[in-house]
Amino acid sequence: MIVVEGAREHLLAFADDEHLMGQQHTEWIGVAPFLEEDLAFSSIAQDELGHAAALYELLGDPDDLAFGRDGDEYRSCHLVELPCVDWADALARHWLYDLAEAHRWEALAGSSEPEVAALVARASREEDYHRRHASVLMARMLAAGGDPANRVANAIERLLPVADAIWEPVAGEAAALDAGVVTESSATMREPWRAEVAAIAGPLDWASLEPPDQAARTRRSEHFAPLRARITEVFALDPTANW
Amino acid sequence: MRIYEVFLKREGKDEFRHAGSLEAADDELAVLLARETYLRRAEGDQLWLVDRAHVVTAEPGFIEPNADKPHRHNDGSLVADHRKAQRERERG
Repeated sequence: MIVVEGAREHLLAFADDEHLMGQQHTEWIGVAPFLEEDLAFSSIAQDELGHAAALYELLGDPDDLAFGRDGDEYRSCHLVELPCVDWADALARHWLYDLAEAHRWEALAGSSEPEVAALVARASREEDYHRRHASVLMARMLAAGGDPANRVANAIERLLPVADAIWEPVAGEAAALDAGVVTESSATMREPWRAEVAAIAGPLDWASLEPPDQAARTRRSEHFAPLRARITEVFALDPTANW
Repeated sequence: MRIYEVFLKREGKDEFRHAGSLEAADDELAVLLARETYLRRAEGDQLWLVDRAHVVTAEPGFIEPNADKPHRHNDGSLVADHRKAQRERERG
């Protein structure tokens, strides 16, 4: 069990992001543009939910943490709360999110908490696939020109301010860094991430992005409440049930 | 989109077997999608993907003439019967 309060908050933020990202991806089961992509995307959703469960387990009861908290106790970023009903948006978010996720796992590889470091090997193997899937698909769409390229380019532009806010840390990040539970700050990881995004999407005007009001990840976006209602629908039928 | 034929092989002496096909925009995406479409449950240890456009085929009419040659379907029973009869004769 992780004891340092700041480290708990930092890991909770990552777990919440993974959980909500996984939940959002599952919306595409059965309706992705073609069968093979449907299977790949739902595998990715399943992986993210697995990462969330593993992280929650380090912090307490996974069900309670995933479904039993009030909105202000979550530490998710607004990117993962956003509904993406257009495939271009869902793909752009998957790409922006997974490029960031790789850095977030790397920053836990040398964690002073052995249980945290132990999760990284499995997660990184899965992340390699996510990142490759997202980057190859994104590069192909942009190279295709015309409507496909325009749609994903517009999606990237629309999502960029809220995606860049993945790197807004929780208040406890400094304590987590001091304790060595995480070894890289969000501010440090943001730079290589921006470079990777620009390498595929082309030059981007980072300075003029207007960040969402996340208040160190303590404030939920307007999209959180309906999302939470949806994902807790089954759990709420009987919170004491064993699944 | 292109169509790829998918072949899987397990470790050991088993040969590559046709598992199905998939649609992908190019070779790299085909590899990425094949993993989750055909290898979700570790169905194989090796993977071949063949662009269907590269598969060499023959016209059905060209293959057909060999369908009416029963003498090529030798199951060995004529020889076996002959040898059996010979053994019985030798035994008296």
